[in-house]
Amino acid sequence: MKTDTKYTEIEKFKDALDSCTKCGFCMAGCPVYREEKKESSVARGKIMLIRALLDGEVEVTDEMAEQLNRCTLCMTCAQNCPAGTQVPTVITAARADKVKRRGVPFPYNIVFRWLLPRRRLFGWTIRLASWFQRIFLPKTEGTLRHLSFFLSALGKSRHIPQIAPKFLRESVPEVNKPPEGVKVKFTVGYFTGCMTDFVFPELGQKIISFLTKNGVEVIIPRGQGCCGALVFLGAGDFATGRKMADTNVKAFKDLDYIITDCATCASSMKDYVKFLADTEARKKAYTAYAGKIKDITEFLVDVVKLPASAYHVAPEFKGKTVTWHEPCHLGRYLGVKEQPRKILKSLKDIKFVEMPDADRCCGMAGTFSIYFYDLSQKIAEKKAESISSTGADIVVTDCPGCQIQLMDTLKRLKMPQEVRHIMELVE
Amino acid sequence: MIDTKHVNRLRAITGKENVLTSKEEMVAYSYDGTQMWSHQPDVVIFPTNATEISETLKYANENGIPVTPRGGGTNVSGGSIPIRGGIVLCTTKMNRIIEINKTNLNATVEPGVILQDFQDALAKQGLFFPPDPQSYSGCTMGGVVAENSGGPSCLKYGVTKQYVLGLEVALADGKIVKLGGLTPKNRTGYELMMLFTGSEGTLGIITKITLRLLPVPKANQTVLAIFRDPAVAGETVTSIIASSILPSKVEFMDKWTFNKFRGIIPDAILDTSEVILLIQVDGLPQTVAAEVQQVVTITKKTAREVRVAADAKEAEKYWQARRAHFSDIHSQAHDIINEDVSVPRDKIADFIRLSQEAAKRYDVPISFAGHVGDGNFHPAVLTDSRNKEHYQRALKCVDEVIEIALKLGGVISGEHGIGLEKARFLKKAMDPTAIEIMKKIKDLLDPKHTLNPGKIWEEG
Ligand SMILES: Cc1cc2nc3c(=O)[nH]c(=O)nc-3n(C[C@H](O)[C@H](O)[C@H](O)COP(=O)(O)OP(=O)(O)OC[C@H]3O[C@@H](n4cnc5c(N)ncnc54)[C@H](O)[C@@H]3O)c2cc1C
Ligand code: SF4
Ligand code: SF4
Repeated sequence: MKTDTKYTEIEKFKDALDSCTKCGFCMAGCPVYREEKKESSVARGKIMLIRALLDGEVEVTDEMAEQLNRCTLCMTCAQNCPAGTQVPTVITAARADKVKRRGVPFPYNIVFRWLLPRRRLFGWTIRLASWFQRIFLPKTEGTLRHLSFFLSALGKSRHIPQIAPKFLRESVPEVNKPPEGVKVKFTVGYFTGCMTDFVFPELGQKIISFLTKNGVEVIIPRGQGCCGALVFLGAGDFATGRKMADTNVKAFKDLDYIITDCATCASSMKDYVKFLADTEARKKAYTAYAGKIKDITEFLVDVVKLPASAYHVAPEFKGKTVTWHEPCHLGRYLGVKEQPRKILKSLKDIKFVEMPDADRCCGMAGTFSIYFYDLSQKIAEKKAESISSTGADIVVTDCPGCQIQLMDTLKRLKMPQEVRHIMELVE
Repeated sequence: MIDTKHVNRLRAITGKENVLTSKEEMVAYSYDGTQMWSHQPDVVIFPTNATEISETLKYANENGIPVTPRGGGTNVSGGSIPIRGGIVLCTTKMNRIIEINKTNLNATVEPGVILQDFQDALAKQGLFFPPDPQSYSGCTMGGVVAENSGGPSCLKYGVTKQYVLGLEVALADGKIVKLGGLTPKNRTGYELMMLFTGSEGTLGIITKITLRLLPVPKANQTVLAIFRDPAVAGETVTSIIASSILPSKVEFMDKWTFNKFRGIIPDAILDTSEVILLIQVDGLPQTVAAEVQQVVTITKKTAREVRVAADAKEAEKYWQARRAHFSDIHSQAHDIINEDVSVPRDKIADFIRLSQEAAKRYDVPISFAGHVGDGNFHPAVLTDSRNKEHYQRALKCVDEVIEIALKLGGVISGEHGIGLEKARFLKKAMDPTAIEIMKKIKDLLDPKHTLNPGKIWEEG
């Protein structure tokens, strides 16, 4: 068999693979290379390994699989690359070819293939896990608990927030109209994401209330599911990813805007077309879907064009010093950099301080932090240093994934700063 | 294949976690920034201190195992490729900045510090290390010293060797030697540090480096000028310097990079020009303003259009385009043969003209970029190694370009070193007695030739 037909997903991005000139500009910025200091960790090394895969020089061994997983897909390399080599794209494709050969290992296969695509089942399982959590484990450090039961497959004694007693979708209606007397200027679909739904439902409620107050009708389609980031980007399971994409496309088909409070959900869903569009029909549907997606800060600043006076800080945050962590998926993937800063700067009663390297990856990266928890924590410690240097009381971000990572890290390092979503600050 | 007993010994020396042997990891250490060379090592080790390096070298020497030192692996001469297999000794885990001394204007670092990290740390104290190889986000201080690297700023500030105050080196037999010191003036014995600066890892492994620093200039500004004729651009550089201005950088780019300037310079001018010069002056704000004025007046006489970058952001855009030259041409050919000749400044125009004629004769595309201020050029021939006939023509053209540079009084490598890539030209470029002396030095310091074998003057 000719080797060059073996890796069909990688082949689709052969131009990107070939464009690397081995210049090494990607080294200093790569969060994984900074910790591990070895060539196979950095973009250039991954590219050369994937080329070796195509050449038949190496196979998809355990080690190769691990090398492919050892990347946060943070996009820093691509941003610094003079050749514009889209390394994260090539790595994602290689993960898919890997899965085609080897499948997804236990217990991740159960979670990725069976639970995440089934929203209700996933919800129940999480609820069940949280009961066990409450019964068998003492509460640790405030509202954070050591994760247990099946979720322990996803994290090594990670501090994660408690599962919410009532999920978002159980506590708000499908259609949320502006209050009496406020005219409807826009109607949006709210993609709530798993984290906001199961862990941070109050965030969802705040967003709905802020939007409706400002003339935006918010629909929460009941048919929506998980964005699939962990499944197709993280684990490389494109077949399951496709099912999840189709579910979401269907759920939002009648809406013009899809807003999210999670940069990772937004950018992953925009990537459906790049990785999952195997037919013309899907290509068309995914392209149209991508065009509707807006991050919440982007929507408020660029579409609704709210004036600075529309943002008020919630009373509990008055007088606090706040710093901003820019999620990779927000800044580098969606190109949303100024919008959240604009919102923070319009809040009169807080002091906003920019942290050094605000856009550096926090090390969460979904499956990455599950597979390589210790490495992920080392990366996060760099972030913690930045946060600490600002003297801020609160660090805000725009991605519940980053939030969980930062909460875990700050708790572990016994740092006093609170971690919040930017939309928790405003009302 | 290397004997397991050797690998076990290396594990005992550096710790299990600092030794790699898997096929995948060997693939990742089979290349550097060079296009055509590759060879896998048998084992890669990451020592964390000088003693581990010394013990490794001693053991390798006793057992005749080749050791290839490696920092960031960004060199473009094949210097860090383990062409005879054996051990790759990678310094990236020795990445501590030991001291930055603002009073004495010096700093001491371990060899694995990334240049960009070093510059960032210095900038916080208002200091800088002037040599600026454009690979700064990947290259290490050990690599910078071992290659005696330079960059655009070297026109005004000189190359690495002008900044090395002291070195600690592990020799092939494992002995550790301290050379030089902490002071800029030091006339004690032979300048042995200089022997190791630019030695491309063939004489010893640098384990600690003390460097001279400068305070960061208070201001800088960038001027862009575009020309129809490379010769006129060359003469303009000469006029600027003749007017008693020494810019910190003067960089040259040809048509292949012009796309990056669309939207900045009108298409009508870009489409009918051949060369862009980027000129940076630095110093006190008043001086910079006056000198920029003078540069603009001089360039306006000959250039088709002159732009002063409005702010740091715009200037960075120009410099980014310069840094992307290599990837720009790379995107247009399967393979690139990139040279690194240096010619006296007054021969630049002749060099370009003669090289272009040669490329025409061999019917291969050629592109030029470089540090024109100091005469260091990177002519690049675009080819495709899969097309044997084209590739042969390209190689012949490169040979001729190098002959041209030598005839004009130039050298075969301005900054990239000889490594594997330029070894075949060495005999033409160096006095035979000088080569003889180098060989004797090598035999004295590394009689068994275990350190970076196959490089510089040895036949690969
Ligand atoms: C895009 C690009 C742009 C570049 N621009 C420039 C430029 O402007 N100017 C310039 O001068 N160079 C330039 N280079 C070449 C290269 O980056 C420099 O030579 C750099 O200093 C090499 O550093 P490194 O850490 O990557 O060394 P490596 O590539 O790892 O090694 C280089 C050589 O040094 C030896 N070595 C490494 N560490 C040690 C040590 N501790 N002790 C002894 N020997 C050692 C190796 O054996 C090898 O022979 C460029 C390269 C690229 C890819
Ligand atoms: S910066 Fe881009 S071209 Fe350079 S080595 Fe990294 S991926 Fe390759
Ligand atoms: S995406 Fe991020 S982690 Fe992955 S190789 Fe690029 S810089 Fe490194």
